[in-house]
Amino acid sequence: MKRTIIIILTCLLTVTTVMAQQGLKINRLFDGHFKNSPNVTEIIVTGKKAGELGLSVYHSLATTDQDKGELIESLVVKDGAHAVEKDVEYRNGQLYYGFYTLRAPTKKRDGQYLFFLNQRLARKSPKNVVTLIYMEGKGDSEQIKKLIRK
Amino acid sequence: MNTNHHISDKAELEKLIGRYFDGETTVQEEHQLRQCLADCRWNSELIDEARFAMGFFAIDAQERSRGRNRRSHHITGIAASIALLIGVGAFALWHQHVRDNMCVAYVDGSVVNDDDEVMALIRQDLNTMGEASQGMSEQLMSLGAALELDNE
Repeated sequence: MKRTIIIILTCLLTVTTVMAQQGLKINRLFDGHFKNSPNVTEIIVTGKKAGELGLSVYHSLATTDQDKGELIESLVVKDGAHAVEKDVEYRNGQLYYGFYTLRAPTKKRDGQYLFFLNQRLARKSPKNVVTLIYMEGKGDSEQIKKLIRK
Repeated sequence: MNTNHHISDKAELEKLIGRYFDGETTVQEEHQLRQCLADCRWNSELIDEARFAMGFFAIDAQERSRGRNRRSHHITGIAASIALLIGVGAFALWHQHVRDNMCVAYVDGSVVNDDDEVMALIRQDLNTMGEASQGMSEQLMSLGAALELDNE
């Protein structure tokens, strides 16, 4: 009995670990530990509401905290290195804007996309805000870009 | 034979054993015999044979009982494992359902559950991103135009 439970728990742990290993670097930002942080806005939308945007997952973080902003940038750059398509702009050696297609959509799997913006580096009315948006959806990169042009 | 009758001597015991081996004893007599064989100190070939036979049956019964217990533990284990799997599965489905239908925002540590408010925050994020993207496109266009001018 005990042996069976241990085997089941070991299998579950292995599956969880493998799944976590397959994830993105930015996943550590989305594990919920910013939920209670001041200076952070986190948005999570899935299911029907995300469907209204043509997405299956919308998850974003916006922060006015410089350290958190730098952490976000470093993780985005790491994940962006493996992107299949990217559209980025650096200013003063720092990432200002980035749009990354991390995974193109297929019939079986939704595409994965990232938007990053550091408004501190904006020329017109800079703001102390770093924003990260993670999206999953069936649309291709052009359809995703249209979302921000509406 | 009376249930309360006590076997008083060895001869009586051997007589009862003889009847036992001939299959003539009642359940009560067998019970009495078993008790006497366990308690008394008389010895003879017949008594030892009876002890062996009845002891063997007792051990066999014990083994069968242990086997039944082992089987019962085994079945309990399987049932518990199945229950655990069903529990884990149900939790995973529930968790998936919750994950699949979220619409929530956390603003400076405060929870926003109102769908419209959350969607408004999203729109705000997307607009900000759109403005930055547009600025980039304009820059690229002016760069392209400058390059064209250079070529002319």
